Amino acid sequence: MTSFRRFLQHRTGVIGLLIVVIVALAVLIGPALIPYGPEDMDFMAMLAPPSAAHPFGTDSFGRDVLSRVLLGGRVSLLISFTAILIAAVLGSWIGILSGYHMGWTDGVLMRVMDLLFSFPSFILAMLLMVLFGFSSANIIAAIALVYLPIFARIARNTTLLIREEPFIQASRLMGRRPAAIMLTEILPNISAPIMVQASVGFAFAIILEAGLSFIGLGVQPPTPSLGGIMSDGREYFSRAPWVLTMSGMAISVALLGINLLGDGLRDLTDPKLRERT
Amino acid sequence: MSELLGTQAKAPGLSERWGPVALYLLKRLLSGALVLLAGTAAVFFTIQAAPGDPALSALGEQATPEAIAAFRAEYGLDAPLMVQYVRWLLGFFQGDLGQSLAVARGMPVGALVLQKLPATVFVGFFALFLAVVLSLVLGTLAALNRGKATDTIATSIAVFGVSMPDFWMSYVLIFGLSLGLGLFPAFGYVAPSTSLTGALHATFLPALAIAAPMAAVFARTLRAVLIETLSKPYVTAAKSFGLRRPFILVHFVLRNAMVPYLTVVGLQIRYILGGVVVVERIFGIPGIGSLMVDGAFARDYNVLQACTVVFLAIVLLVNVAVDMICALLDPKQTVK
Repeated sequence: MTSFRRFLQHRTGVIGLLIVVIVALAVLIGPALIPYGPEDMDFMAMLAPPSAAHPFGTDSFGRDVLSRVLLGGRVSLLISFTAILIAAVLGSWIGILSGYHMGWTDGVLMRVMDLLFSFPSFILAMLLMVLFGFSSANIIAAIALVYLPIFARIARNTTLLIREEPFIQASRLMGRRPAAIMLTEILPNISAPIMVQASVGFAFAIILEAGLSFIGLGVQPPTPSLGGIMSDGREYFSRAPWVLTMSGMAISVALLGINLLGDGLRDLTDPKLRERT
Repeated sequence: MSELLGTQAKAPGLSERWGPVALYLLKRLLSGALVLLAGTAAVFFTIQAAPGDPALSALGEQATPEAIAAFRAEYGLDAPLMVQYVRWLLGFFQGDLGQSLAVARGMPVGALVLQKLPATVFVGFFALFLAVVLSLVLGTLAALNRGKATDTIATSIAVFGVSMPDFWMSYVLIFGLSLGLGLFPAFGYVAPSTSLTGALHATFLPALAIAAPMAAVFARTLRAVLIETLSKPYVTAAKSFGLRRPFILVHFVLRNAMVPYLTVVGLQIRYILGGVVVVERIFGIPGIGSLMVDGAFARDYNVLQACTVVFLAIVLLVNVAVDMICALLDPKQTVK
């Protein structure tokens, strides 16, 4: 509770948290409050500019851009969130195993992670999407794989720092199994840097997913996604700039909130960094 | 006085510094080559493991078994996997990346890549240059005016910068600087060999779109590192000796901040190259990124494989270059 109270004193962090909560509420319950569905076409109002009836305007099929952005945002955020959750869990597991056992386990696992880390992230994700198909599960898997080495490295380095601490040695002397030590002693002690990295990674995943969907190698129509709506919008962006602009701004607002929240979390968990800023 | 300032009485000359640096570089190059080798194997076998048959996707679902067999024989796809890999690897070291299966059917992929590489390298370096310049200005201004209005403004610009993905930034720039003010073209490419100023003019918007989010990340790093360096005892000592502030900033502060700053720059190369793919597409730049997207839509596995490996090689090369600069700036780095 005290750390939450400390977080509340971090002005930009709180602003970030507020933005994230508002964005989450908007994409979760927003679509239910809007009178148009994302697939409802109105051929009397194609490419209509923003108005009271359509605050974000309409696209070339006369579909309400606001409701598409909200539903597309839900799809994009869910994909990114799930991908980062998987990367964080798997990456922590790999990193703890590596750091705790050291030796050849560490050597093998970390060389594989180094190799994954060397590929440009977007290129690797793109290759995997082409090879394995454009389903949502594959997008999640591709983003998770690309981000996995970052979590594994952080988990490993933090585990190496604490593995010789007296409380871990005591656990070991008590004859507890390594799996139990990793889960109850090490995991809670490395969760803070993992959390901070997860917030950075969430923003990264949103950009990656939107980029993939934007060039047509991510979420496939008719399912709306933020990158997909932007891609629709670029076809007629000089005649009807609102389709592209509104979906682009939606991405920026979500990213801004997550980045500010991430900065707040980082300052909270890393006193050294707090002094710096 | 120089001992008190924490520098060596006689700084080693550049030639003395090269010895250990050269050895270190050799080690880094070797490990880079090993990663590249492992990378080629990973890409090759992942492509083989994936569902989908290159012969079917190139010839269509209605292809006769004879046509498929002929296609497989023509492109050497009928040999065992290990043989195919070794063949591909041997070819790779001789600059032969196989033939394009679909994008430009029958054309050597190596020639395609060489034809597209200059545009990607040019735009990539232009973007890197812009990101470094922007971040040096923003980061230094913020750190020197810590807590003041200048800092708040620079930091806010950086936060907004990281919230602008490059493909969205591209359109903001097109709206503002191309369609709005008519300063730059919204589409098209001019090769630097044709006209250097023409190339810089044509690729300014794509380079800036890639650079902006990167500059934000670099600037935030530089600000944090500079603030830490500014509080070091040797900076206080230098001030108390009455050295002029710009001199201290360049020789004591920025120089020592460069190694952590460049390390972050090296790490971000992966993202710059990712940005190149999408931005090349938006601005119609005939680079490796465009080639790879074409290969993706046409399911041209040879082109995909070659592009992925080329991108990996670029990352590894740039990282060795960054290591080299860091080692020259601070020979301590070679011990790590």
